[in-house]
Amino acid sequence: MKKILIAVVISAVPAFAFAQQNNIGTCGWGAKLFDGQSGLVPQVLAVTTNGTSGNQTFGITTGTSGCTQDGVVRSTWKTAMFIDGNKDRLARDMSIGNGETLDSLAHLVGVREEDRAAFGRVMQANVSVIFPTGSTTDDSVVALKQVLRSDRELAQYAASI
Amino acid sequence: MPFPTRRWWAFLCLLCLLAPGAAQAAGYLDELVGRSRELRLSERREWHRLMHYTRNLITPGVHSLADARRFFLAPDGKTNPQDELEATLAAFFSDAQETQETQNPQCAFISRYAWLDRELAFDPARMTKQTCKRFNEWRETLNPHGITLIFPAASLNNPSSMYGHTLLRIDAKDQNEKTRLLAYAINYAANTNETNGIAFAINGLLGGYPGMFSIMPYYLKVREYTDMENRDVWEYELNLTPAQIDLVLMHVWELGPVYFDYYFFDENCSYYLLELLETARPDLDLTSPFRWWAIPSDTVREVVKQKGLVKRTVYRPSNATVIHHRLELMSPDERALVNPLARGRATTTDAAFTGLPAESQARVLEVSYDYLSYLRASGKSSVEHPDELARNLLLERSRVGASANDPPVPVPAVRHDQGHGTSLLGIGGGRRDGLNFIELRGRPTYHDLMDPEGGYVPGAQTEFFDFAVRDYSGGVGARVEDFTPLRIVSIAPRNEFFEPLSWKIDVGWARRRLADGAEPLVFGVQGGPGLAWTVPDTLRSKTMVYAFLESTLQADTRLEKNYALGIGPNIGALVDFSGRWRAEPYVKGQWFFAGDTDTPWIAGLRQRYTLDRDWALRLDLSRERQEKQYWNTVLLSLHHYF
Repeated sequence: MKKILIAVVISAVPAFAFAQQNNIGTCGWGAKLFDGQSGLVPQVLAVTTNGTSGNQTFGITTGTSGCTQDGVVRSTWKTAMFIDGNKDRLARDMSIGNGETLDSLAHLVGVREEDRAAFGRVMQANVSVIFPTGSTTDDSVVALKQVLRSDRELAQYAASI
Repeated sequence: MPFPTRRWWAFLCLLCLLAPGAAQAAGYLDELVGRSRELRLSERREWHRLMHYTRNLITPGVHSLADARRFFLAPDGKTNPQDELEATLAAFFSDAQETQETQNPQCAFISRYAWLDRELAFDPARMTKQTCKRFNEWRETLNPHGITLIFPAASLNNPSSMYGHTLLRIDAKDQNEKTRLLAYAINYAANTNETNGIAFAINGLLGGYPGMFSIMPYYLKVREYTDMENRDVWEYELNLTPAQIDLVLMHVWELGPVYFDYYFFDENCSYYLLELLETARPDLDLTSPFRWWAIPSDTVREVVKQKGLVKRTVYRPSNATVIHHRLELMSPDERALVNPLARGRATTTDAAFTGLPAESQARVLEVSYDYLSYLRASGKSSVEHPDELARNLLLERSRVGASANDPPVPVPAVRHDQGHGTSLLGIGGGRRDGLNFIELRGRPTYHDLMDPEGGYVPGAQTEFFDFAVRDYSGGVGARVEDFTPLRIVSIAPRNEFFEPLSWKIDVGWARRRLADGAEPLVFGVQGGPGLAWTVPDTLRSKTMVYAFLESTLQADTRLEKNYALGIGPNIGALVDFSGRWRAEPYVKGQWFFAGDTDTPWIAGLRQRYTLDRDWALRLDLSRERQEKQYWNTVLLSLHHYF
């Protein structure tokens, strides 16, 4: 009974809980990098000139900035950041049950070779759970954790998210 | 020679008074400085590389390319290698503690420390060795095992992206080919928030932006290049020892807060990446060919040219390349479903879909989703709720258990670094309007549509500073025939899936006949949009036909009203009779409606026969009309690329 109650609470406020815990809002650079300029001329010029917008996130000796420390992603954020930066590709690979992005996620979560096939199957079966309509990264991270936890073989990996 | 670092001695003596044992430190510093002078360390190649010293253009001496004051410890460190080395040694005695904002000099200048320690064998008893916690944690996260040079090739409809970009990837020990996305990429780029492309370009040309190194997960770069910009990526795994890799990392760390004035053409991303590699391998000389002009793709060639430096190459096709490849493999029934599904005009309950075998369904859903992603990334999706549509396609795909089992995109036979040389010299002879001539043509860079195509993006032309000089018989003598600082042509074929606009622009001087028969060199800008198609098969065929609507603006005091403004069509075709033989029939007319009333036109046939990677024969025939005068031109020339 207690377990059920906890599950209900978690699923009711996943975004809030996770975002608070990991403070995702402060380093949501995924979206920023992906609102690519459209139209011919800006694209041509920006690409020709190797442009990038300046920000501190990936500065090499800038200390702590959002989810990074001296430019590299802090270990507690690794999985969340990966999902944030690869959402479309990851959802695609999950729906197929394999692919480079899914392999990389499995590696981040620490899935051992012998469990990879099961991981692919479970992800394929749960793509709609992990990426619900209008989901945020927070939702997906929480859902991924729950999906792993509820699978007998893969439950051991839920803790690493 | 006057003693240059007296200031530093004074500073250290002040420390003598404050800290016990500092006198001993000063004694040791004396000793180290003395030894460094004996060994003439400040003249060593390694020191110059670490400090990015480069010879002055006119005056004797050197200056560092680094422009951040904090990179130098001596007041005249930017131009004085000796002072800088001694000031660096003095700074290493600092006992400053590391914080989130500051570092001890031994850590902030960790690559200098490593090299000087190797040369002078610092005694830890007399100079405390600092533990650089932040650097060590950073290095641990990267877990370095290898370094890969990354080159995103040109995108389909963006010839100027040929100019390219390069970055380095730090490959971690526990990664393999399947998990390379998790590696880190080291990027050098202009640091600016400028969104106006033109202001950005101008400032960049003049060094108006600070260039800085940054580090980010490789997956962000992969998403940017292969999914957003649709550029194929080439990865060159380099042969470096663990010690050399560490040198690169230490130097990147040292350059972290340092900026360099960023110049698009020479001191750009590629130039500094080569400098980084040189720090790791002082035996390499990669940068000297690029003092004036560092085109990323040329710098990649330079790296490939070094014996044994490149271990292997990996090809990473872009989303558009994968879609095109899989569309080609599809049966007509499968292909017919992609567009309707990706645009929300058909559903998976339609009989046309449900009738397909599971494997086909998987293929159709995957390609439809990729195609929808492509449409969204290029701003061409007109569906009201693309998120929902994409999600539905994925859910449908997850319900199809089967696998499409499509073979991967084949690796192109010619890598971009294996294409013809990017500079051109051509010599030829011909006859124009009754006069014989010999011609010399030159082009510093890069590629035109009639050049051998292997390694280049089909239909993409980018030329800088193309010129031709002709020596005519009949008393006319030698003259510049044309000079074109910039010419870009993008002929991108349209089909039912891809609908790019073609376009061209041409800025430069060319001969223009006037009513009195004179032919001054007239400055003009011309260009415009166009459409192109492949024939006969829209997906597999390489033969392209094109049609442009071109405008011309000419400006010259010898023109009646000093200017001429015109518009007209340009149509033609690019036909490959074989891998070596290409022909381009074309016709182009202009109607000048302002400043002038001439209606010039030209019709011709260009042909190229490839002899070798870097040699080609050209035969150009044309007939043209200007100011009611008609003439023919024939030109046979030999082109050499280098």
